[in-house]
Amino acid sequence: MGMKLLADSTFTVNGALKSAEFELFGATFTLSESVVVEWIVVIILGVLFFVLGRNLKVRPTSRRQIIAEYIVATFTGMVNDSMGAKYKKYTPYISSLFCFSLCSSLMGLLGLRAPTADISVVGSWALITFVLVQRNKGKTGGVKGYFKSFVEPMPFMLPFNIIGEIANPMSQALRHFGNIVSGMVIGGLIYFALGSFASGVFSIGLPAVLSLYFDLFSSVVQAYIFVTLTMSYVAMAECD
Amino acid sequence: MHMDLLAAAAKIAAEQEDKYLSFVDINPATIIFTLINTLVIFLLYRIFLHNKVMAVMDKRREAINAEIDAAETAHKEADEAKAEYDQRLRESKDEADKIVAAAVKKASDREAEIIAEANANAARMKQQAQESIEQEKRRALNEVKDQISEVVVLAASKVCEKEISQQDNAELIESFLVGVGKEN
Repeated sequence: MGMKLLADSTFTVNGALKSAEFELFGATFTLSESVVVEWIVVIILGVLFFVLGRNLKVRPTSRRQIIAEYIVATFTGMVNDSMGAKYKKYTPYISSLFCFSLCSSLMGLLGLRAPTADISVVGSWALITFVLVQRNKGKTGGVKGYFKSFVEPMPFMLPFNIIGEIANPMSQALRHFGNIVSGMVIGGLIYFALGSFASGVFSIGLPAVLSLYFDLFSSVVQAYIFVTLTMSYVAMAECD
Repeated sequence: MHMDLLAAAAKIAAEQEDKYLSFVDINPATIIFTLINTLVIFLLYRIFLHNKVMAVMDKRREAINAEIDAAETAHKEADEAKAEYDQRLRESKDEADKIVAAAVKKASDREAEIIAEANANAARMKQQAQESIEQEKRRALNEVKDQISEVVVLAASKVCEKEISQQDNAELIESFLVGVGKEN
């Protein structure tokens, strides 16, 4: 989990494990544990999507198709409610982002280090949000509207608007990162503490309950919050 | 002793640092790979699930619309057919009524004709019968008159046996015959 007992009574939290290093264009890149786990997630989700989307019929006969349609309809409805019908084309991105985030966080349940507990991972998603926001601004307002949006409602708001453009995705990323990482740290601390106690009484029920909250519930909620924020930032970026 | 422990801890920490990224390290490789992986998942979702489900839902919508359209058309056609049949039924009924009325009229006309003819026949026959009766009566009367006059002449010549002038005879017979004619 990226945590280790240093000495007998020390507890530290590390970043992702360095899995490999490689040279490219004369620079050294470090392939972290997060990326390896992401690949596992990609494989799992790829298989899941493929199986769910296979052999669909106009008249559904399989439970699998009902589930597939339910998932797609739920995401479509979510995007429609949050962003409006004209942002329908964002549905696949929002849906895949939700699945990616949720599945990544759930990797913690398998004892792997959740990629979402890595600021670089959620930061990348925030970067995408930033790009989408700028793009939507430019698309709806044109060049003039894009630059005008920074001096609204008053010209002296310019610095604050620029900060806001960066702060929004940043806070979005940090919120996701902080929540998953705090769950990871608390889980680690509990195990550490229980190990010190060496008492069987608490080690049976308590970790399970906490794991249920931090790994399962928190994963779903954070994925939901992240995509909801992405949707509202992009939809709000519309220039009028 | 204490120093040794600290040194050991520092050594372990250094090793850890070497093995792990720092807690809030921004790693360019992770960012690049995450962007690629996000794109891959986006494409997988869109190609394998989203587009397929949307396609099948669209197809279903079209099928349902087509069904509803077909049902509406069929309903309309049925309504039209029903109206046409009703119309035809009404027409046939009218026609049948007309035919029956014509037949009844014809029959009653014929009836009247037959009755009139029968009446005319009866009247004619009655007249003929009366005429023949009259004729018979007259003939019988004449016959009787002739016989009576003979008888009377005979009787008178027998009874009188005496000379009766021609003139007397004639007067006597005439008055007798008148008396007979009156009695009839």
